[in-house]
Amino acid sequence: MTRKSTYQPPVAGVGDTGVVEAPRFSCALGGAYASALATYGTVPILHSGSGCGMANAHGLTFAAGLNTGGAHGTTSTPCSSLVEEHVIFGGEKKLRALLDSTLSLMKGELFAVISGCVPSLIGDDVEAVVKEFKDRAPIIHVRSAGFAGSSYNGYELYLDAVIDQLLAPRPKNPRQVNILGIVPNQDVFWKGNLQVLEALLGSVGLEVNTIFTDFDGLGALRRIPSAALNLVFSPWVGTATARKLEERFGTPFRVVDSVPIGPKQSAQLLGLVADLLPVDRERLTRVITEEERRAYRYAEYFAEAFVVSLPHAYFAVVADSATALGLLRYGTNELGWNPELVVVTDNPPASVRGEIAAKLAEGLTSVVKPRVVFEIDSHRIRQELRTVKVQLVLASSLEKHIAPEELDAIHLSVAYPIFDRVVLERSYAGFRGGLAFFEDLTATYAGPL
Amino acid sequence: MPIDLKAQTCPTREQRANGINAYYGKASELVRDARAGCLQHKERSFQQNAGCLLNFYLTVRVATIRDAVMIVHAPVGCSAPALLYREVYRRLPPKLGRPEQFDLHWLTTNLSEKDVVFGGVEKLRSAIREATDRYHPRAIFVLASCTSGIIGDDIEGVIVEEQAHTEATIVPIHCEGIRSRIVQTGYDAFWHGVLKYLVKKPRRKQPDLVNVASMLSYTWQDRLEITRLLDRLGLRVNFVPEFATVEQFETLSEAALTAPLCPTYTDYLSRGLEQEYGVPYFLYPSPVGIANTDEWLRTVARYTGKEHLVEALIAEEHETAVPRMDALREAFAKLKPDGEPFTVLGSLGQGRLLTQTPFFKELGIATPVTICQDFDNLILDEMDTMVKQTGDFDIMVNTFQAAEVAHTARKYDPDMVLSCPFMGSAYKREKGQTRIHALRGDGREWSTQAGYRGAVACGNFLLQSTKNRAFQQTMLKKTPEPYHDWWFQQPNPHHFFKDDGVAK
Repeated sequence: MTRKSTYQPPVAGVGDTGVVEAPRFSCALGGAYASALATYGTVPILHSGSGCGMANAHGLTFAAGLNTGGAHGTTSTPCSSLVEEHVIFGGEKKLRALLDSTLSLMKGELFAVISGCVPSLIGDDVEAVVKEFKDRAPIIHVRSAGFAGSSYNGYELYLDAVIDQLLAPRPKNPRQVNILGIVPNQDVFWKGNLQVLEALLGSVGLEVNTIFTDFDGLGALRRIPSAALNLVFSPWVGTATARKLEERFGTPFRVVDSVPIGPKQSAQLLGLVADLLPVDRERLTRVITEEERRAYRYAEYFAEAFVVSLPHAYFAVVADSATALGLLRYGTNELGWNPELVVVTDNPPASVRGEIAAKLAEGLTSVVKPRVVFEIDSHRIRQELRTVKVQLVLASSLEKHIAPEELDAIHLSVAYPIFDRVVLERSYAGFRGGLAFFEDLTATYAGPL
Repeated sequence: MPIDLKAQTCPTREQRANGINAYYGKASELVRDARAGCLQHKERSFQQNAGCLLNFYLTVRVATIRDAVMIVHAPVGCSAPALLYREVYRRLPPKLGRPEQFDLHWLTTNLSEKDVVFGGVEKLRSAIREATDRYHPRAIFVLASCTSGIIGDDIEGVIVEEQAHTEATIVPIHCEGIRSRIVQTGYDAFWHGVLKYLVKKPRRKQPDLVNVASMLSYTWQDRLEITRLLDRLGLRVNFVPEFATVEQFETLSEAALTAPLCPTYTDYLSRGLEQEYGVPYFLYPSPVGIANTDEWLRTVARYTGKEHLVEALIAEEHETAVPRMDALREAFAKLKPDGEPFTVLGSLGQGRLLTQTPFFKELGIATPVTICQDFDNLILDEMDTMVKQTGDFDIMVNTFQAAEVAHTARKYDPDMVLSCPFMGSAYKREKGQTRIHALRGDGREWSTQAGYRGAVACGNFLLQSTKNRAFQQTMLKKTPEPYHDWWFQQPNPHHFFKDDGVAK
């Protein structure tokens, strides 16, 4: 085990975050694996040690609302299971045999070879091996050594591979919008969020390519170049992908920064796309009016209990930047809570932190403006929480016991990792999402007076 | 082969006991071939996710040691399974014996591209210091990874330097995933670190203390049942590793005996404690099923001078448990016509292979075939004994190979398939299916498997699963199979073994 590394970093500048307790993301391989599993009909093939898939089955998909990966997840995922002799002699032969057998055994529309730390360190020429199988099936290679970055980076590496190895220019569809920036499992509510966005944008006549919730996963990937617009639902994740798509296929993009929660944010999103794409204004107005009317009608059903139980609550949000932005705005601007603290946990690059902090402070109806902290270390996050007096903590399930025991606060799991409830199609997105959020929140403390 | 605690780590299971994880044939042939020394490792041309030394599941186990800190010296994904650390065990009500307040801790060195090029030892050093500053633990476990191994980080070197001014005992664990094909090497690597660094010379012998190294796959209720039974003999149990304190590891040397729950899991620790501190051990049987619980208790009593108490205890327990087992056996007998036995396919570890197979026989359930995660010489005698007791059966040795599991289930078509947790589509069946076991955090009596109460509870659990198959059948019908039809049409579950059949 003393063979000298032949590893050369492919890109410079992926942040080194140092030693950290329980950071809220997995590795680049994890992000690529989760993205491949989310693309329906795709068979991920891990070229890695035999524990990488299991680590991410338990640490990424299961941590995302107790999900397993579906038909090609957990122990169903093919893996080259590299050991010491491959470190010495190379893993290419093993991979070649695995690709040959996988293509004959497993049903799939697309095969995604995802290579991890070991082949990167030993210098396997994975590209060359994958190339041998190009004529047998659609197959791509994602070079995603675990040490190359986080699962957020892994999502981008997966889409990079798709763009470089699978996509070709197509005629533009003026109504098509692609959704970027929602990382399967890192956004625990990814399935529901994508479906709601599809319906929301569809309600004004747009054709939405969610990529991951489409039953024709390969078709959805291939349709990416025909979009008229790429919408990025994160202040930073997927922006590099969107830029690449702009360069490659001339598709403009807009960073929306978060999945809209509740009527105000949803109406704002529809207004934004109406400025960019051909949307019938009358239809837009009708949709907004009807949806608002309905959402606030049902808000009346909880309002009277709400102003008794949780009025003007001081609250803290501990989440990835996109989730934090959406919930901060909904809680503050619709429910009338007071934001004390936002801890951003997805480790955005230094270059966008100022912008994210500004977004977290702007357009809030409250007198109180939140203190914004970028922190990935769960111990330091706990210390941050101890500095505030809040009634409500919207966070991951890591805070489930800390909130009531140390802060006397109510807690709801809204961000990865979520080990305390199953999340399937649940979503807080859209006009009605705020109501769903409120239902989940009150389930944690409501009862007879 | 004696345990060499001067060495940095244990030998692999391949080196120590000719461990393999690919075999298909008769159980008796497996024993014969192993005895003759002609079992050979076989490569597969098709392989699936199966866990590694680090993530089967040292990250989850070690993170639960209460006054310690786990440092995973690895890229960030390797420790992701431990993200459950602040919630694990919290569902257990304190009235079942878990402390109301406890805090678990872990860090990752989060190895990056830069570290891969320039080395990660300074990060490990800062992690050890950070762990000390934050928590003042009694022990710091340093878990190695594929990456730390390949880049050649001198973990021992840093630890020696840091230990000089660190209060906590620093325990390196060489669980690099690439070290071994046999995930159980990870267990041995952990126990090697525990024996080498953590276990102290006995200050005094505690003649009423029995060590039990219990697997994650035995539940909290199993602990309670074992505690209850040994308490009747005037004995106390030292359960390690999960949820133990560091002191419990330090005093392993003071116990009167190390008794098995899972023999293959406990093996390295048991041998090490006897070799270094004269703590006797036995590895067979485990307290699963009535007869084996009887025998387990008798063996414990023999080593601890409690023989005068044990027969009365057994007799008393039989009064309640045996009629219930009889009723269960009758119920299983009625499930099939004309005295045909109810058949089961269990996906088992080596340990459960030895414990569950006789238990099934007690229930009148036949095991025409079984799947075992891996196999090594450590359990040869026990396996031999067991096969003679229960009769021969087919065995497929594989570590979580889902396609082979699916094929075996289809080919033998047993009345019931018992699957490990998270085994892909194995639950989708026309005939019966349920889980082989629950996990440590499950505090329900329903999930008990050990001792007398466990035998009855587990029998009832299995019987219950025969009464409605709607979920498994519906999912089979309504969701697609990931494998092409040819896989099931050809007869060999070991189709992808590179060398067919048994090695000569």
